[in-house]
Amino acid sequence: MRTNHLNLLLVLVLVLFVMSTRANGAEKNVMLYTPYTQIAVPPGESINYSVDVINNSDEVKNASILVEGMPRGWKYEMKAGGWTVSQISVLPGEKKNFSLKVDVPFKVNKGTYHFTVTAPGVVELPLTVTVSEQGTYQTDFTTKQPNMQGNSKSTFNFSATLKNQTADQQLYALMAEAPRGWNVTFRVGGKQATSAQVEANATENISIDITPSATVQAGSYKIPIHATTSSTSADIELEVVITGSYDIELTTPRGLLSTDITAGDTKRIDLVVRNNGSAELKDVQLSASKPVDWEVTFEPSKIEKMTAGSTTNVTATIKASKKALPGDYVTKMTAKTPEVNTTAEFRISVRTPMIYGWLGVLIIVIVLGGVYYLFRKYGRR
Amino acid sequence: MGLTISITSISEEDMAMSNTNHPFWVIVNKEIADYVRSWRFIILIVIIALTCMGSLYTALTNIREAIKPNDPDGAFLFLKLFTVSDGTLPSFVVFISFLGPLLGISLGFDAINSEQNKGTLSRILSQPIHRDYLINAKFVAALIVIGIMLFVLGFLVMGFGLIAIGIPPTAEEFMRVVFFLIVSLFYVAFWLNLSIFFSIRFKQAATSALACVAIWLFFSVFYNMIVNLVGKALSPSAWASDYQVIAYQRFMLNLLRFAPSELFNEATMTLLMPSVRSLGPLTMEQVHGAIPSPLPLGQSLLVVWPQLTGLIAATVVCFGLSYVSFMRKEVRSR
Repeated sequence: MRTNHLNLLLVLVLVLFVMSTRANGAEKNVMLYTPYTQIAVPPGESINYSVDVINNSDEVKNASILVEGMPRGWKYEMKAGGWTVSQISVLPGEKKNFSLKVDVPFKVNKGTYHFTVTAPGVVELPLTVTVSEQGTYQTDFTTKQPNMQGNSKSTFNFSATLKNQTADQQLYALMAEAPRGWNVTFRVGGKQATSAQVEANATENISIDITPSATVQAGSYKIPIHATTSSTSADIELEVVITGSYDIELTTPRGLLSTDITAGDTKRIDLVVRNNGSAELKDVQLSASKPVDWEVTFEPSKIEKMTAGSTTNVTATIKASKKALPGDYVTKMTAKTPEVNTTAEFRISVRTPMIYGWLGVLIIVIVLGGVYYLFRKYGRR
Repeated sequence: MGLTISITSISEEDMAMSNTNHPFWVIVNKEIADYVRSWRFIILIVIIALTCMGSLYTALTNIREAIKPNDPDGAFLFLKLFTVSDGTLPSFVVFISFLGPLLGISLGFDAINSEQNKGTLSRILSQPIHRDYLINAKFVAALIVIGIMLFVLGFLVMGFGLIAIGIPPTAEEFMRVVFFLIVSLFYVAFWLNLSIFFSIRFKQAATSALACVAIWLFFSVFYNMIVNLVGKALSPSAWASDYQVIAYQRFMLNLLRFAPSELFNEATMTLLMPSVRSLGPLTMEQVHGAIPSPLPLGQSLLVVWPQLTGLIAATVVCFGLSYVSFMRKEVRSR
């Protein structure tokens, strides 16, 4: 039993010796060489190795080249002289070069990967690739500024970057989930579009114009944006903060913007000030641009506070100039805050006071009375 | 001329036809008949009708040019028939203001004195009628004749204009034309009363006619010259303030308004051009904020109410004068 063990050991040593001498002999004859044997790359990168096959023997060596231990999903290609090669013949004492292109996929874990370029039974060249970060196989949709603020009348212009990190060209459908009444348009390369085509591993700038609805209330609104294809999708969420809009209206309860007045008289007009905006208005001043010698006073002349959508009744008292001509005059009434103002133009028809008319009638009556007196005095003799 | 037939001799047929057989209306009817059959009335009415048709023709040929954009009177195209002219022939309004006095004078200048000269006056007055019936009837008859004539002419112009331009007048335009005709009637009545007054004062018909024509010529030609002379003498210096200039302008305008023709012109201009808002000088204060727009008829009437008052009062005063002088007149048979 002991001799058996001894024999087995002897055979093993002998075999190992024979193998090592064979290997040593081959190494002397054919070598594989590349300068960068350990490379760190990000996912999705292609590595180009330049590998030399060196023949140190004194006869022509025909070596078939294989890549072994390539991680799953990695692709490689060997080329020399413009062809894809799998066997290379080298003259004695010379070397031949071929290129090995290794595509690191996007979807790869961070870590160190090993593979070997071999001429089977002759020589091996171990290579190491370190993937520097966790790889993905997906789309990257980002924006630098996802939040904007403005009033309800402004247009919000976001710019986003769509990065296709898959291995294929992708046609992304662009969609926005905006509240009803809002308008979202996408621009790709300056042109309005509903989809964007992005080459593999390329980026595209997409600008997104968001117009809020006319009746939007103040507040913050989140608008998810989707870029989807059948295989991949990406989302960003934009946020639009609407500050209050300012809108004020000055009119009369019936909307009638004309009235008539007798020269020198006063006339009261009921006005309605309406806050049509979405923000509160403070210190609404009422003023009038009027013909010379006219007086326009407002009661109240200043409204302290108006909540959104509220109305306030104001009475304007117009006093026409005594010298006003009969006919139409224009008086502009303005409701003004620092934020917004509005003007209502009143067309005021001036009438002549009837007093002069009656004076004329009186003169005629006196004259006729004089004639009547003559009739009485002389008529019936 | 003259009521040579006695009142009782009017046939029963006439009495039945006239709805009233009151002596006053009998005289009026007779006077109207006399006027209408008299040659001078026929000549005058032919002249006036021809000139008015001529002015209508000029108005119709120029009404296309008269329509301007942004003209506040543009909506009153029909009224332009009475005011538009190209300068070759005066407009209807100008003819009325010129020939109207002549018509009034011609109907009144021999109303009383010719009857007196013929001896018919005492005959009429010997009838059992009130004395003032005669003077009243003369006035009323002439007024009716003039009124019918003016309204016929005005409505003829409207009718021909309607046929030619095909745009019917609005109710307001129609009322404005009617008021224009009424104002014209008062204007002519003024001259009629003045000439009746002279026919009472002067024994010779020629004298009263000349006196009337002299006054008419004075007011239509010489009065303007005299006012201009006065104006030159009174004109403020170049350094006068605006208020002085305005006061001067007002004074000059008021001087001009002593002429009945000026009152008539201002009244008709305002009635036929609704955009006229004021007569006389305006300050910037009054114009500021005013927008050109036509006035409603009532306001136009109020604008010219002083002119109308003056015209009506002058007419009535003239009538009163002639009435008094006729009533105090000594009438003898020849």
